[in-house]
Amino acid sequence: MAETRGGRPISASQRPTGGDKAVVTRKQYFRRKKVCRFCVEKIDNIDYKDVKLLSAFISERGRITPRRISGVCTPCQRRLCVAVKQARNIALLPFSTPL
Amino acid sequence: MRIYEELFIVDPNASDEDIEAVANQVQAVVTDGGGTVDKVDKWGVRRLAYRVKKRDEGFYILVQFSAGPDVVKEIERRLRVHDLVLKYITVRIDEKLQWLDKRKKAREKRALKKPAPVPVGAPGPKMPGEPVEAESSGQEEQA
Repeated sequence: MAETRGGRPISASQRPTGGDKAVVTRKQYFRRKKVCRFCVEKIDNIDYKDVKLLSAFISERGRITPRRISGVCTPCQRRLCVAVKQARNIALLPFSTPL
Repeated sequence: MRIYEELFIVDPNASDEDIEAVANQVQAVVTDGGGTVDKVDKWGVRRLAYRVKKRDEGFYILVQFSAGPDVVKEIERRLRVHDLVLKYITVRIDEKLQWLDKRKKAREKRALKKPAPVPVGAPGPKMPGEPVEAESSGQEEQA
């Protein structure tokens, strides 16, 4: 492990900001690890017709919640994103909601 | 043959017969084109998420059918021209259904595997598996 780190001087420039921050936050607060709801509940079919499910992953303004907030895993987020966009197209979900 | 799903919104102010006629028209196009209608689901009047053609509500109809791509073209053309239809969306779902089936089978397989060999089988294969992994990783580091 130490060898690989030393062997890549390029990654060293990226390391401090990302790595250190994570350590600091972990020390200061206890943050529960986020899990993907679709994986945990074993929802394979992320369907655009399922408004109830999809509306849990859009903000008040109608925006799709980012992964870093909702904790959805990458493959699921990709499918979720498509589903939300399809639902918007057929007026099941809003593109945006006025303030 | 592909499986499609057509979801379209009809003007809620239209009479029941007119709504029925639109649904029948879509089904007729499918059957004329050599396809089969698998499912027709009338959701009824729903609130729209945003205004469409100055309407706040719409009558949703879902038609699932299997047919060729030409049929979809014809259906979309008709719905676009139709005055009572506010919006429509066509989704090809055969690939998704296949994928879902695959996932489901994989999941069942895993579920079958997991509870059965845990008392006897699981510790057996794991024990020889671990040292092999450790050895291989060690070789990689050296290389």
